[in-house]
Amino acid sequence: MDPTSLIPAPDTIPAPAWLFQVLNIFTFMIHILFVNVVIGGSLIMLFSRLTRKDETLDQSMNGTIAGKIPTTFALAINFGVAPLLFVQVLYGHFIYSSSIFMAVFWISIIPLLIIAYYAAYIHVKKYSASKTLSMASLLAMSAIVLYIAFVFTNNMTLMVQPEKWSAYFTNRSGTILNVSDATFLPRYLHFIVASVAVAGMLMSIVWYIRDRRGTKGMEDKINSGLKIFAIATCVQVVIGFWFLLAIPSDFILAFMGRNLFYTIVLFAGILLAIGAIISAFLGKLIPSVIHLVAVVAAMVITRANLRSLYLSDVFSLNDLQLSPQYGVMALFFIVFAIGLVSVWIMLKIANQVAERRTV
Amino acid sequence: MNYPIWEITTFGGGSLIALISVLHVYISHLAVGGGAFLWLTDLKGFRDNNPAIHDYVRKHTWFFLLLTMVFGGLTGVGIWFIIALVQPAATSSLIHAFVFGWAIEWVFFLGEITALLVYHYQFDKLGRKNRLLIAFLYFLFAWLSLVIINGILSFMLTPGQWLKTQNFWDGFFNPTYFPSLFFRSSVAAMIAGLFGYVTVVFLKTGDFRDQMLKYCSKWLLYPMAGVVLFGIWYYFAVPADIRQTAFSLNPQTGPFVIILFVASVLIFLAGIYFSVKSRPSVQKAVTFVLVIIGLLWMGGFEYLREIARKPYVINQFMYSTSVKQSDVSLLDTEGVLTHARWSAVKAITPENQVEAGRELFNLQCLSCHTVNGIRNDIVARTVEYPYMGIMALLDGQGKVMTYMPPFMGTAAERKALASYIVTELNDNAILEEPEPYALHPWEDVDIPAYNKKKDQYLLLAWNDLGMHCLSDADAWFVILPPANTIEAQLIKRGPVPEIVSDGVQLSYAVQKGFENPSAHVDFWKYSKLTFGVQLEENVGLGGLGMNGDMVWEDDLGGFIAKMIPVVPYPDEGAYNPFPAFTIEAKDAESGEILASTRVVAPVSTEFGCRNCHGGEWRWKGVSGMTDETAIRILEVHDRINGTDLLAQAEDGKPRLCQECHADPAVGAEGKPDVLNFSAAMHGWHANYMVFDGAAACAMCHPANLKGNTRCARGIHSKVDVTCIDCHGTLQEHALGLLRGEEAKPSAKRLMANLTSKQVESVDEINPRIPWLKEPDCLNCHVDFEKPEPGASGYNQWTEGPEELYRIRTDNAGIRCPACHGSTHAEYPASNAYSPLHDNIQPLQYTGHPYPIGANMKCEACHIIKMEDPIHHENMMRVMRNPVH
Repeated sequence: MDPTSLIPAPDTIPAPAWLFQVLNIFTFMIHILFVNVVIGGSLIMLFSRLTRKDETLDQSMNGTIAGKIPTTFALAINFGVAPLLFVQVLYGHFIYSSSIFMAVFWISIIPLLIIAYYAAYIHVKKYSASKTLSMASLLAMSAIVLYIAFVFTNNMTLMVQPEKWSAYFTNRSGTILNVSDATFLPRYLHFIVASVAVAGMLMSIVWYIRDRRGTKGMEDKINSGLKIFAIATCVQVVIGFWFLLAIPSDFILAFMGRNLFYTIVLFAGILLAIGAIISAFLGKLIPSVIHLVAVVAAMVITRANLRSLYLSDVFSLNDLQLSPQYGVMALFFIVFAIGLVSVWIMLKIANQVAERRTV
Repeated sequence: MNYPIWEITTFGGGSLIALISVLHVYISHLAVGGGAFLWLTDLKGFRDNNPAIHDYVRKHTWFFLLLTMVFGGLTGVGIWFIIALVQPAATSSLIHAFVFGWAIEWVFFLGEITALLVYHYQFDKLGRKNRLLIAFLYFLFAWLSLVIINGILSFMLTPGQWLKTQNFWDGFFNPTYFPSLFFRSSVAAMIAGLFGYVTVVFLKTGDFRDQMLKYCSKWLLYPMAGVVLFGIWYYFAVPADIRQTAFSLNPQTGPFVIILFVASVLIFLAGIYFSVKSRPSVQKAVTFVLVIIGLLWMGGFEYLREIARKPYVINQFMYSTSVKQSDVSLLDTEGVLTHARWSAVKAITPENQVEAGRELFNLQCLSCHTVNGIRNDIVARTVEYPYMGIMALLDGQGKVMTYMPPFMGTAAERKALASYIVTELNDNAILEEPEPYALHPWEDVDIPAYNKKKDQYLLLAWNDLGMHCLSDADAWFVILPPANTIEAQLIKRGPVPEIVSDGVQLSYAVQKGFENPSAHVDFWKYSKLTFGVQLEENVGLGGLGMNGDMVWEDDLGGFIAKMIPVVPYPDEGAYNPFPAFTIEAKDAESGEILASTRVVAPVSTEFGCRNCHGGEWRWKGVSGMTDETAIRILEVHDRINGTDLLAQAEDGKPRLCQECHADPAVGAEGKPDVLNFSAAMHGWHANYMVFDGAAACAMCHPANLKGNTRCARGIHSKVDVTCIDCHGTLQEHALGLLRGEEAKPSAKRLMANLTSKQVESVDEINPRIPWLKEPDCLNCHVDFEKPEPGASGYNQWTEGPEELYRIRTDNAGIRCPACHGSTHAEYPASNAYSPLHDNIQPLQYTGHPYPIGANMKCEACHIIKMEDPIHHENMMRVMRNPVH
């Protein structure tokens, strides 16, 4: 069966595709940073609790991050909505199909996320009161977020490979996965290890802020967070090359000069990652953070480029028909601006209070 | 057609959507109303300078955050996930039509969670001004998210001008936008009060707790006025046709209407209850129950709104089956399978019929129906129907009962789907047409003696209708009772013959073996209930038994015996729909027999109901209606019309259909707003009929050429003139009847999908009254001549009963059927049981089976040859259609 005959016809889009792609990449970047913190944070806390017993929350490393996880969870979900919306606008005909193939796993994300979210609260609220409950919650949360990442990796790889879609004709019950794909494992690990790195970085940032507000003895801690980041990022470089080599050779060539833009972005990302590792080992937080953000930006764009390569035979964003709604688009940007200002004002109010307290 | 289909056959994708949505909608309304509740309650704390209130707000906020932000937020994402899995095409349409609406919604969501988190985490540290500001911002963002989502939700029900313009704002500010917004805002406030109790009942007992309970009651009760008022506005803002489909036609709405009303009353009573003192433990229990009732209320409302949209997912744009309305005609002509990207079968062959059916089932049924599942189970709904019934249901789907989409696709695809449902899902056998009846012709028929030379009288007798049916399901309902009417004219022979009315006594007697109909049918058990008279066994509604005297009627110019209760079941032997009566004319004074003949009283119980409704034949497996069939018919009637006929029948009180449905055939006036019986039956079933031409008629009437009656036995049937040449096709026939009832609302619905090729527009069809306005023979036989090729009797009705063939006379006062035979058995008739049987009198008097006097056999009555065609024009000729 010709796989292209299976690809659904897309609907028209109300603004140019590039605009949605920019919004998609921008919001996804924020989303993925929050997600990294939740997943990496869970794993670090789990590791810490398994290796260092009998510490109270305040004493432990977990104290810096456990209380932040529920809030980060909320923001990760919120910032997941936007890119999921924009990706549906551009690639809905692919992602709806692949989601249906794994419908059972895909919909299981929702109840599991609810459990994980509550577990994040229970973990921190019951940290001292009930070690067992707290630990069980942490385990549940960690397992769930790893599982969700697993499902997402399946979906993101299957949506761009229509040639595998005929599997539907032998299994329509919504339980198709894509684990046998050569890129599956490196892609999954590339994401999990990145999460550990970002969570390590966040811990450093938290300690840095405390340091700035006058808490003593933060310097070592800042460095320990940076160390987690640096080591994880070293591993990440290796996995990244594994991932690169796992993709079809045509695509590798595209990233190796055949497509100049793709090549520049990827190598910029790699170089920035090396820069981040170096500055982290040197204990320089601010440059490391800047490097990290730049690396994530480059890698998120590379991710989008890889998607375009996968789909290049069957679809290009230019194929989408435009039926403009510029008035509503303008309204969105106005609302977006007002929304961001409101958020900024609220955070400022909250921050003033926090500063007042520490002073 | 565009996307793969998740085969979730038992639980059903729709159930998953419903489950997630109802939970989400409940909590999301709390998120909006609760925002105002937090803000205003906190404000009240400041105004009253009451720290206890702040303390309560702090606790409530934590509960509120855990419920709305975590559970509410994620179930919201969950709806999005599940609709994309179950209704990807509609989701894609909504996403693409309203991208920026969704994006704005997301911004508000971001503002909402930021505000709530700041409010919760910094509650004690924020000053009055900032805390109230943050609380207000939370409420504002939450309500604004309702402002957005309300536009999209109400769009799905009433897309309004968007259908023409595809303009964002036309869709957004659609006809139900504002009523829905005000309604939902009121609901949100009400639910805020409801959930206020949840935290208040856990406060320490005392004055403050009581005060807060009363406070929550105000939140619960005051907005209820808005819920009611805006609810009414909302209801009437929905176009009337949608309301009719949802609330009159769709039986699914019933339970949800009840849930909504009962839950409303209970919520109101709970508000009153919490305003008075009570024991804390009881209050906690009531609160727990109230939260559940609130969920039921919300579920009831949302279900109604969803059901109101049926058969669409986006009204008048996309069906629940993900097919755009604009694509239907293409799919009907080119087929669904060729256009369905994800169908494994593209062309139907005899081998892949069932597999193709499965694809069609997935494409057209699975979005609403489960297989042996909990919601709209297809097996429960279809297992009783045989193949022809399933075909009929598919054909009629969406035409009258507009809450289902029409079946889309070619005739071959419909057969494939029906085959899949019947064989694969229901494990039944396929029978494509009614089972043939092994009819054994009779060996011979006696022709009564007659001496042309000596006999002075000619006795002509006939049955008034040519076929009388009886429904034979007396324990359940009566359509027609056993009631055959026989008429006769006695002619005194001579150069100028006379019609004899005085000084003679005519009598009738049924053929041996048929004297005891009450042994075979239950009519007499129920006649008091169905006809209001307790009849003696074997006595009919005209007071006549199986033999007796005929009476002279001036109006008819002949003798008549009305409503003799003959049935086609003899005491011994085979089914016989043509029992004969012996008619004798005697001199009233001397008792001398003047003339004697035999006449057929055609009576059939071959009601084709079972062809589609299922069930077996009742009498010896040959004819008549079983309880099974009758019950199924009543079930359908009750479901569609909201009656309780089955329950009444089970209670021993069967009804006469014509109590409600007027019918000249039984002299019933019926109920004023209910369609007359013929219009209802033909109008309804014409919408579900898969057979064309006379085969359609034979699905119900005893005219099946392979059936046990084969009623159409007149000369017309020999020269290929079928039912439709006089009556029109079933659709045309129904249209004539419905036009006669056009003032009644249901007539319009039944007519909406019926067409006629004989007229330009349905308005040209002349209204008719069943039984009284019929096609006139002279429509085709103009001036009694041979009809022109292609002549049709349709759409020119007799003015009234006096013009009917069965009533009319020639110029000499002889009734038409006296010489030509009964309708549907016109001489020379050819009864399948015996070629002679329906021609007894012509054979008796003239030796041939042609009309009395045909082939210029004037001497039959006149004794001598005559010269003028005095009876009617064009009669002095040789029979055009000789029989050998």
